Amino acid sequence: MEEKAVLVVGGGISGIQASLDLASRGYKVYLVEKSPSIGGRMAQLDKTFPTMDCSMCILAPKMIDCSHHPNVQLLTYSEVKGVKGSAGNFVVTVLRKPRFVDETKCTGCGICADHCPVEVPNEFDEQLGMRKAIYMPFPQAVPRAMTVDKVNCIECGLCQKMCQAGAVDLKQQPQEVELDVGAIILSIGFDLFDPSQIPTYGYGRYRNVITALELERLLCASGPTGGHLIRPSDGRIPRKIAFVQCVGSRDRRLGTTYCSSICCKYSVKDAVLIKEHEPNTTVSIFYIDLRAFGKGFQVFVNRAKSEYGVRFIRSSPGEIMENPLTKDLTVWYEDTVAGRIENVTFDLVVLCPALLPRTDARELAKVFGIEVDDYGFFKASNVLTNPVDTTVSGIFACGYCLGPKTGDIPDSIMQGSATAARVAEVLERV
Amino acid sequence: MEGARVEAEFEPVILAFCCNWCSYAGADLAGTSRFEYPTNVRIIRVMCSGRIDPTFVLSAFRWGADGVLITGCHPGDCHYVQGNYMMERRFAFLKEALGHLGIEPERLRLEWISAGEGEKFAALIRDTTQRIKQLGPNPLRAV
Amino acid sequence: MGEEPRIGVFICHCGVNIGGVVNVPEVVKYVKTLPNVAHSEDNIYTCSEAGLASIKEAIKKHSLNKVIVASCTPRTHEPLFRSACREAGLNHYLFEMANIREQCSWVHAHQPERATKKARDIVRMAVARARWLNPQEEPELEIKDTALVIGGGIAGMTTALTLADQGFKVYLVEKEPQLGGNLLRLHKLYPTMQDTIEILEPTIKAVSQNKNIETLTSTTVSEVKGYVGNFKVALAKNEEKREIEVGTIIVACGAMNYTPPKGLYQYGVYSNIVTQLEMDELLRNGKIEKPPERVVMIQCVGARKGEIRALDLAGFPKSDTARLLAKILKAKKEEGWPYCSKICCMNAIKNSILIKERFPQTDVIILYGDVRVYKEYEDFYSMARENQVKFVKHIEEVTPEIIQGPEGKLTVTAYDALSGREMTLPCDWVVLSTPLIPHKEEVILARMLKIPISPDGFLMEAHLKLRPVDTQMDGIFLAGVSSGPKDVPESIISAKAAAARAATLMANKKMRTEALTSVVDEEQCIGCGLCEEICTYGAHYLEEAKSHTIAALCRGCGACAAECPRRAITMQHFTDEQVLAQVKAALMEEP
Repeated sequence: MEEKAVLVVGGGISGIQASLDLASRGYKVYLVEKSPSIGGRMAQLDKTFPTMDCSMCILAPKMIDCSHHPNVQLLTYSEVKGVKGSAGNFVVTVLRKPRFVDETKCTGCGICADHCPVEVPNEFDEQLGMRKAIYMPFPQAVPRAMTVDKVNCIECGLCQKMCQAGAVDLKQQPQEVELDVGAIILSIGFDLFDPSQIPTYGYGRYRNVITALELERLLCASGPTGGHLIRPSDGRIPRKIAFVQCVGSRDRRLGTTYCSSICCKYSVKDAVLIKEHEPNTTVSIFYIDLRAFGKGFQVFVNRAKSEYGVRFIRSSPGEIMENPLTKDLTVWYEDTVAGRIENVTFDLVVLCPALLPRTDARELAKVFGIEVDDYGFFKASNVLTNPVDTTVSGIFACGYCLGPKTGDIPDSIMQGSATAARVAEVLERV
Repeated sequence: MEGARVEAEFEPVILAFCCNWCSYAGADLAGTSRFEYPTNVRIIRVMCSGRIDPTFVLSAFRWGADGVLITGCHPGDCHYVQGNYMMERRFAFLKEALGHLGIEPERLRLEWISAGEGEKFAALIRDTTQRIKQLGPNPLRAV
Repeated sequence: MGEEPRIGVFICHCGVNIGGVVNVPEVVKYVKTLPNVAHSEDNIYTCSEAGLASIKEAIKKHSLNKVIVASCTPRTHEPLFRSACREAGLNHYLFEMANIREQCSWVHAHQPERATKKARDIVRMAVARARWLNPQEEPELEIKDTALVIGGGIAGMTTALTLADQGFKVYLVEKEPQLGGNLLRLHKLYPTMQDTIEILEPTIKAVSQNKNIETLTSTTVSEVKGYVGNFKVALAKNEEKREIEVGTIIVACGAMNYTPPKGLYQYGVYSNIVTQLEMDELLRNGKIEKPPERVVMIQCVGARKGEIRALDLAGFPKSDTARLLAKILKAKKEEGWPYCSKICCMNAIKNSILIKERFPQTDVIILYGDVRVYKEYEDFYSMARENQVKFVKHIEEVTPEIIQGPEGKLTVTAYDALSGREMTLPCDWVVLSTPLIPHKEEVILARMLKIPISPDGFLMEAHLKLRPVDTQMDGIFLAGVSSGPKDVPESIISAKAAAARAATLMANKKMRTEALTSVVDEEQCIGCGLCEEICTYGAHYLEEAKSHTIAALCRGCGACAAECPRRAITMQHFTDEQVLAQVKAALMEEP
């Protein structure tokens, strides 16, 4: 039996790497992605640690490779609904949600969006910016096509009128397709812990308490503020910024006892980024253990301290309170060295939340028949010897959906390639 | 001579030959690490420092370069094994030739930079710019 | 050269990376004034779909026969832009890049005017070179479907098995008489606390039983010649020599545990001061008979050192201790490696749990700077604390003092980071957590294979983020701790990833290689033989008093062209005219 097709679920960097490695081998790859574009979390980042590469710059060529590769078929805005069969012979049902735009005709010119009268918060910008009801999630989206958010669309039909390519089709229907594949790779990534579950930190109530991902969007040139770091409450440039580590992590009460592995690293990166943007702004990082391991990282932290003057305070803040007039935030913490309670006022607080399995991870695990671990991540069949195999033969996983691991981009890429190797091992043996 | 030349205003033009595998990558690393240096250098990429023909260097000075910097892989690390050694031999000859042509030999410099030495590259540019500034403009420029 | 050059120049803003410093529209305007520039435009991200589409459209619309993209370093996106040119029908050697980011905007962030002038110069130089570019045909290389894995540790064996299972033949070369690497010395693995032998034995057995793997122990690599797809490797086993031909090479040469020099923390002076690895062996061999009263472990010995880190003394109570500390800080600077070795915290915790299991009454104290326990290992850390293992943050800048008293009892003096107070800890054993460091074989291999070494001393990957198992050399990949410290699952993942990358190459059986080769002008050649003499690769040979190039052997270094006394040798794509045009353009404004 010669099934040489593979299904990859999740178009983030690890899914993209797995797809490209397999496609270069001659396998046909179906890359299914739930949102309108591939790219995942890496597309939302401004810069990556510790090299400070512009994230989109290094991601975009891989995204384009996927769209151009003759062996890769992108099924974006699509979800897996059912799976039958076993290793070497799976039949997967994929629902292609209607984007109400013909991908083959749309040029991505954006005239439709210019005329659309409906504005809603943009998920890609973590709700900080706005988009229209017909939209492209970000400028470098792949495929380069618009999508209609039917939930918010008022069906005025202006987009269809203005489209020069005749690409808008407001009557498009959902489509179910059946794919015959020999192996499956899951790479659905992570979601952020919702910090409003910790009421003492004020997230959701105080405008100037934001998450690190929201900060990335503010710092990113293609983000809602064009890369200008401003406070959400009044648009001023923040002059005193605090980072709070381990929000929801290493926390017995809320159940996420593990360490998310990358937050210490990205907060130091963000601190350095902020200092580069605004040298006169002071940045303080409240931490418990500074987990700056990994290649090049200790030196990066040393530079952050000595060259950029980033302050490190070893303490887990107890409470954050807002001044109702200025919207400034006072952070209360225990100074473990002096042995007393201290407080400092900042104009912006960035929370580094735990990284959790995606909210639909358990449901997807049921669809594929695989097990999840105690935290809800996809369980490896043996965490030491088979780290990328799931509990079902022929189904593999890579990236953060497997759990924190080292958690960073090179790790996700290595896992992506490793699953490609496993798939080849399984399919070549047939 | 056209008017007084104020030392502070002299901005030298320095040509730097960088080899693809080591020093050009080191220069890139200086960029990704955001190590800043003066704007006086213009980089020309070659595959190996062994490619650098003496006429490249002599033409550079003839056409008015105030300094020429040649960079390559550390001895023993040349991507093509011995290209950098060949460059080193030419360097000795070039230094002497420059002297005969009335150009200070110190205007030509040879340094080894690896792909991991971004900080060293930036420091090298700062130092070279400073030295050439002190030497003043290329004497051939007046001709 | 044929037709008149019609050059298209695309200048990238790269978001604000370039556009935030360099005045891109001004550069575009300037470029339009240069001779032979038929079209110029700016893009926000030239590497995006929109940017690439612009390039292809402009090639057709303006009949461009040369294309320049002024943006980031060619080392990242040159392949992408080259393929866009090919799609528009242009030979990709007619494409050139101008580096105005890594070598301009990113290093002149506070000098926008000068950076803009420099960007103009850089683009002008690229235009000058582009005028002289010629189309080239790339030779096709055969890729042998055999791989060489250097190193028979867990990573090397994993790579070998992964490749062998896909039908490739693998030579697994190991310098020791047996397979297994560093894991042979380890007793138990975290977090499962399995015996290492449980993992190692099945792997070694699988390797020995796999028909596609030829294992060569007590063997080293003495020379590597050739290039991707066709490496000729000389192996040595004692006096025996053997040559093999392989398509790809995976370096899994491992790393070694740092042994402190005698005297550092009194290691080698007192016999009850050991490294974590030695403690692991002592526990395995039952060499600790009497239950110790207390064991003190010290983290980061020889790691995160090599430079004094900034310490904020402002929070300390004003006491004699604080003043003493300030004095000590100025004096001490411990030698070591500047990086964090990632796995030592977990190793210490593992050994502390093993000690507690064997001797529940023993007091175990771990002196640390940061507890770098990540992912689900956090639970392991909790378990240790539940077992009464004490974690004390000490002031790392001050090397703890250790003295031995009567009956071999040790006393450790360190400073508690949270109170600033001095701690005096009598104990029976001191265990030093030391990093994984590169060993000398790695340096020898780096030289042999032409792989650079990272600032931390380990082998350098092609791109730290994007290509973590590739190297700068096509066909050579890295697995396991040869590129940096990792734990066992991470080593296995990297080994499989390296196998995937090697397999992709070998499965395709062919690949195209750069057309950077030398060409001899026989009319000019006087048959002096200098090129044949100096060519490292034997790519020149003399026949009937004229030199000829064997294109498949030429690596494109250009030494022959520079040495030839008659200028009879042309280096494709790096010709004298091209380089001189750049030199001139750097020094003179047009024309």
